[in-house]
Amino acid sequence: MRCLAVVAITTGLVALAFTACVPPPPPPHTEARPASSVPADPFAAPESRARTALDTPPVAHGPAVLVQHATVMTATGKRYAPGFVLMEGGTIAAVGEGDGPAPKEGTVVVDAHGRFVTPGIIDPHSHMGVYPVPDTEGHDDGNEMTDPITAGLRAEHSFWPQDPAIERAVAGGVTTIGVLPGSANLIGGRGIVMHLVPQRGARAMRFPGAPEILKMACGENPKRVYHELKRAPSTRMGNLRAVREAFLHAQKYARDWEDWTKKQRQPPPPEAADGGADKKHDKGEDKAPDRDLALETLALVMRGDILVEWHCYQADDMLAALQIADEFGFKVRAFHHALEAYKIRDVLAARGVAVATWDDWWGFKMEAYDGIPENLALVTEAGARAVVHSDSPIAIQILNQSAGKALAAGRAAGVKLEDDDALKWLTANPAWALGIDDQVGTLEPGKRADVVVWSENPFSVYSRAELVYIDGQAVFERAHVGAPWSDFELGVRGMPAKQEAK
Amino acid sequence: MIRTVVVFFAASLAALVAPTANADEVQAIAITHGRVYIPGDHPPLEDATVVLSGGKVVAVGAGLAIPPNARTIDAHGKVVTAGFIDVGTDVGAVEIDLEAASNDTDVRSAMTPGLRMLDGYNPRSSVIPVTRAGGVTSVVVAPARGLLGGQSAFVDLAGDTVAEALVRPSLAQHAQVDEGTVQRVAGSRGGLWLMLREALEDARFYGTHRAQYDANGVRQLSLHRAGLEALVPVVRGEQPLVVWAERASDIESALRLADDLKLKLVLEGAGEAWMMADEIAHHKVPVIIDPLEDLPSGFDRLHARSDNAAILSQAGVKVVLSTFASHQARLLWQRAGNAVRLGMDHEAAIRAVTEGPADAFGLKGYGRLEKGAVGNVVVWSGDPLQAGTRVEHVFIRGKEESLETRQSLLLQRYRTLPFTHDGSR
Repeated sequence: MRCLAVVAITTGLVALAFTACVPPPPPPHTEARPASSVPADPFAAPESRARTALDTPPVAHGPAVLVQHATVMTATGKRYAPGFVLMEGGTIAAVGEGDGPAPKEGTVVVDAHGRFVTPGIIDPHSHMGVYPVPDTEGHDDGNEMTDPITAGLRAEHSFWPQDPAIERAVAGGVTTIGVLPGSANLIGGRGIVMHLVPQRGARAMRFPGAPEILKMACGENPKRVYHELKRAPSTRMGNLRAVREAFLHAQKYARDWEDWTKKQRQPPPPEAADGGADKKHDKGEDKAPDRDLALETLALVMRGDILVEWHCYQADDMLAALQIADEFGFKVRAFHHALEAYKIRDVLAARGVAVATWDDWWGFKMEAYDGIPENLALVTEAGARAVVHSDSPIAIQILNQSAGKALAAGRAAGVKLEDDDALKWLTANPAWALGIDDQVGTLEPGKRADVVVWSENPFSVYSRAELVYIDGQAVFERAHVGAPWSDFELGVRGMPAKQEAK
Repeated sequence: MIRTVVVFFAASLAALVAPTANADEVQAIAITHGRVYIPGDHPPLEDATVVLSGGKVVAVGAGLAIPPNARTIDAHGKVVTAGFIDVGTDVGAVEIDLEAASNDTDVRSAMTPGLRMLDGYNPRSSVIPVTRAGGVTSVVVAPARGLLGGQSAFVDLAGDTVAEALVRPSLAQHAQVDEGTVQRVAGSRGGLWLMLREALEDARFYGTHRAQYDANGVRQLSLHRAGLEALVPVVRGEQPLVVWAERASDIESALRLADDLKLKLVLEGAGEAWMMADEIAHHKVPVIIDPLEDLPSGFDRLHARSDNAAILSQAGVKVVLSTFASHQARLLWQRAGNAVRLGMDHEAAIRAVTEGPADAFGLKGYGRLEKGAVGNVVVWSGDPLQAGTRVEHVFIRGKEESLETRQSLLLQRYRTLPFTHDGSR
């Protein structure tokens, strides 16, 4: 058993220090490989089954933490004031009204009087790590602008875990992000859901159990990029043709694998009387189809195993995208940016498509001209899942303000909204958009203890995240910011709190 | 000959400027019972009245007599400030950024000191009402690029013509010495500063040798005539030179240049300015900052930090806050609110978007609620820097402006579905 002393957390937040005895971490889990030579799932790529020393490490269990005397906003519709949150073993053990259970020995008790507690913010649209700061040629890894269909790519393989922006996002209360390839390509590649705990490799930051996600893009960006390269697509109709053709190829690919798999599973034919080998079994017909990373990804989309995160601004572009989804039998999990979602909010609500967008960005390109600050509110009113996203390493630091602004804009337009609705834009709804809503996004017993303690109402422009927990571990304490997370920033006078920290 | 034309043209612009509303046309306004932010290091007045008449602020104070026939606006529980001023925008110069035909911000040349942003200002841009509805009543429309990018215009966000909107057709000269400009223009800092010094020194020479210049009696100069002419007020210290510099050493170079050539310097961008806070304060140079720009986004801002504005302000530097935006200049209040979140004093942050910008550019009568000031006034539903606050009234030169925008019309059209084109059911 390792024993460590837990120090007082902040001058503002009175924390009782106990000596905590930390059990050794459990052994890393291993995954049994299928015994048969025929893969149980031909599309489950070997690289996603591979586990290495740098895979997501098991949650380190620190002392239990009891946050008391706060206004606890749960994103479940319930609000406790004053309320408590108890984190134990990396998960939320209890949440409710009052002071909570009497703390066991070793529990860190945080007196959060006057503070607000929320689930960790989840940003489903980030390019941190793939477009890191500083902006350098050496790390310009977000857009593979060499082909409009690059479904075989993985953002994970571009992700630089030393991006200095990551720590600043966490200081803004963000605990999970969806990292996506850029939008130059119609099908940009797989994104990755990241839990924002510093690690040495991208793989180790992967949110455990998160589904695969796919970045797609419609509208102006792909046609502009490839028009400049003097190749297809250079129009919206070119965009749609290219996407449809890609899925047509994927349909055939999926059929070929299904046929082959079916054949492999059939019992071998009886030995021929002449003892000669069955020609069919010897020769090419039984050879497995060649793997194709792009078609494999699209086949998994059609099977529903990969969630589609589709960058689209205009209402008509989104409707056209839904037509393609219908043609090939897949669902769009979320439209991203979606500045005109309010125009088709009834359609999006009926089809269960989430809308991930900014609070009030507009006008930076033609397809962004009709953005209005009431978009999130109107989408919510219609019954669709609205999500605040950043797409920016600066906006990600103040997503709470974005929700506050959109809440105010909606109420001014007469949309009836609870504070909890706006909190869902930041936590529960993006968790759903990324397929991790069974694990995070609300403060409920059994969920991962991703928790933020705010200095005041999180929708205030003055609110600061004072404590940020991921899996029950304090990853950010405003009063005790240590050395920078990023190796890149060593020796550089960077974040403000570092100067204040003694 | 040409010189005569230039002088004449400047005079004609001056005639366009200083538009004053006809006192008979605009009804006097009394905004009563509000919390009123007044200039200087003073707390706001409580339960106070602001009277507007003839396009001006004619009285500010508690317990004032309300003029007869004045329209009264009860601002009980509300906040009254001077209209916010964003000094780093391209409002009116761009309708849609990526549509080149609608974008007059990008000049494809590094040295255009003679360029005037007023020539690209479109008073009918949809961005203007949106900006105004955010409580911004005046902006500096500034060149976005170039080593010497040209002359900014100062406009009120009102009027159907450029002439009506214009307050100062040539407010300042704008230089960029950030790493992007170094790469585009010169390849190295040494090369860039050489070009800048040479241009300014040539302008000084030109300013005292105009006759010889016109007679072709001078050596070759580094700029064409219009550029030299535009820089003369800069090298005479009459017009500010706004220098976009990020790295502390670049800020040091700018201070040195200003010392050597006796320039009226304003710093902008200034990601690492906090490291030079005392020197900047000593030089009495204002600094224009976006407080949300806290990332080490380039090698010239590796030391950027989020409390830049607070550190500078506490060191006695005149801090001016800006969005450096076009469509989102309406969010100047949020920049100021974040400056407070990041350590700046609340009243200092309000000054940094009202009298601060006015003082930095010598804009008399702007940014302050006091007798004789321009009647640019905003009534807010509460704390102007807070997310839930709404802008309730905007007055520009004493006249109330509509808060209708292209966005509010879109909202109206789509408030219920299916929409009807006239917004009715």
